Amino acid sequence: MFRKLLIANRGEIAVRVIRACRDLAISPIAVYSEADAAAVHVSLADEAVLLGPSPSSESYLSIPKIVAAALKAGAEAIHPGYGFLAENPDFARAVVEAGLTFIGPRPEAMEIMGSKTTARRAAMQAGVPIVPGTVEPLATFSQTKELAEQFGYPVMLKAAAGGGGKGMRLVHSYDELLSAFETAQSEAAAAFGDSSLYLEKAIDRPRHIEIQVFADTFGNTVHLGERECSIQRRHQKVIEECPSPINDPELRKRMGAAAVKLARAVNYTGAGTVEFLVAGATREFYFLEMNTRLQVEHPVTELVTGIDLVREQINVAAGAMLSFRQEEIGWHGHAIECRVYAEDAENNFVPSPGRISYLRVPSGPGVRDDSGVELGSDVSIYYDPMISKLAVWGRSRDKAIDRLRTALDEYAIDGIKTTLGFFREIVRDQEFIAGNLDTGFISRFKQRRDLATANTPESEGQIRARDLALIAAAIHYLRLQRETSQKTAASPGQTRWKMSGRRAVARGKAR
Amino acid sequence: MKLIAELAGTEHGLIIKIEQQKVFAEIHGRNYEVEIRERNENHYLLLEGTRVFDCRVEQTREKFTVHLDRNEYSIRIIDPKRLSSAQSGSRHDHGAVEIIAPMPGKVVRVLVEAGAAVTTGSSILVVEAMKMQNELKTPKTGTVVSVNAEPGATVNAGDVLAVIE
Repeated sequence: MFRKLLIANRGEIAVRVIRACRDLAISPIAVYSEADAAAVHVSLADEAVLLGPSPSSESYLSIPKIVAAALKAGAEAIHPGYGFLAENPDFARAVVEAGLTFIGPRPEAMEIMGSKTTARRAAMQAGVPIVPGTVEPLATFSQTKELAEQFGYPVMLKAAAGGGGKGMRLVHSYDELLSAFETAQSEAAAAFGDSSLYLEKAIDRPRHIEIQVFADTFGNTVHLGERECSIQRRHQKVIEECPSPINDPELRKRMGAAAVKLARAVNYTGAGTVEFLVAGATREFYFLEMNTRLQVEHPVTELVTGIDLVREQINVAAGAMLSFRQEEIGWHGHAIECRVYAEDAENNFVPSPGRISYLRVPSGPGVRDDSGVELGSDVSIYYDPMISKLAVWGRSRDKAIDRLRTALDEYAIDGIKTTLGFFREIVRDQEFIAGNLDTGFISRFKQRRDLATANTPESEGQIRARDLALIAAAIHYLRLQRETSQKTAASPGQTRWKMSGRRAVARGKAR
Repeated sequence: MKLIAELAGTEHGLIIKIEQQKVFAEIHGRNYEVEIRERNENHYLLLEGTRVFDCRVEQTREKFTVHLDRNEYSIRIIDPKRLSSAQSGSRHDHGAVEIIAPMPGKVVRVLVEAGAAVTTGSSILVVEAMKMQNELKTPKTGTVVSVNAEPGATVNAGDVLAVIE
């Protein structure tokens, strides 16, 4: 086993890998940018190496700096987390060339799956069904226009090198095509350094269901069941669960077999995820892409299977055999995860950077919070706005939802806008509770909610809570007034009434 | 003490008296007697009878955000005795709308020029923050009066990037 391991990432995933290192008695080494000098992941590591300035291109995306940091600190292996360099075959190669172990698949497998066009070709060859669309990157806009007409609107434009919803646009009609084409191209160029796009027919009310696969270097390849990730905004997942509300052992078996077949076809090793679109009505599934890394939403699989995926990744990379066989994997109960983003859900999910001025993290039976922040942490503009992942486990989906509702109500983050309030409403939504999910869930949910709030009169309890909120604001206002006037010293002309009010507040405080 | 509290476009008259740690308040004829316990400089536990209200108050510009249970209230307190004219005005008249940067970021593209005619929903410019490109669109049909940003410019939340009339 490794003695020292460097984590080429930040935030909650760096913390998650540090925990697995501790379990295995491996010494974790953190890397950080200037913005992250006092970050949580740095404070939890044994050693920390500064990479450079805050922009990720000069820090977390710099292959030479990370490899140099690993050599300097004497690391034997590098865990890339997700995002940043996790799916960059050049990085994997550079790590191996430096004589270190890369915790992930071989660069060749990453290369095939890294480009959506070659990935689609590999899936076709392995006999895994794919969404109708182009296999070659689009050359020109006029070709795109022709192809879009041929497949019929709506169509999806996707970055060939894509992931995380970047460089991806749903196009309903020709009017939107040019703007979407240009935006997707420039977003793809900015995010991946490759502006090439491809086009797919958009599936009506699709569910996004993915299969977790795992392979060791001895030829054992297994699947750990599915995760349903249909609730998305901007094509990025926000709520994930395991098992899928629509899944049954039969569908899991078929999808699992397809995923394993694809993983075997590219000689995959380590943890990977094969994403599928599932047509809501027919349950037909189509290969979407394979992520050659640990997924953000891996905790729901861990909660339901009891398997520590990060620990297993490190074991497999160190040359061990998988610690479980396919027939030993069991799925027990139900788990749901919410990604807490520093975003304003009521304002088109725009990022909301800032300092966390208050933090109350939920706890209790079946509650897990994977977080990368603390009270006083700065959520910077430089990185992804996800700050934590709240995951719960229950014996059934209903019981998991009950726990999620309680945990979300308990969770409090002030100083920045977060998606917590939005999740609190979703877990009370009848369609969510019924498990009627698809990737258009959020926009329909918003319409339902606006209609409901317009038609529901305020209850007595709501009026009372609102009045108390007004009173709290007034109390705070008066307190600030008092503090300001104390600072500027008592000025003449103040009424006796005001002074007595302030004295009263001051006395209240003294208690 | 009489205050006006504005919440979601509605003004509520508020009569409030603070005596030691007790608060007496009246809102729309509803009377409250509340005990204050301070947990922190902006964190109050309000007890009304046996009912517990855990309130955190954040100040953002001219508003207070009150977190109470699982709700968030954005409240503006108007003190009639201190009311100044500075609080009104400064908006554009004649139905002009400002395209405002919703977050700090970088302008990647400007899609219109001053004088151009635009229709509701058409994109004005694209701002990138946290690796996402956001198209800022006009909420109204009209003419572009001014564009105040160039590609590559760094902008802050609240900056007026363009004006449509």
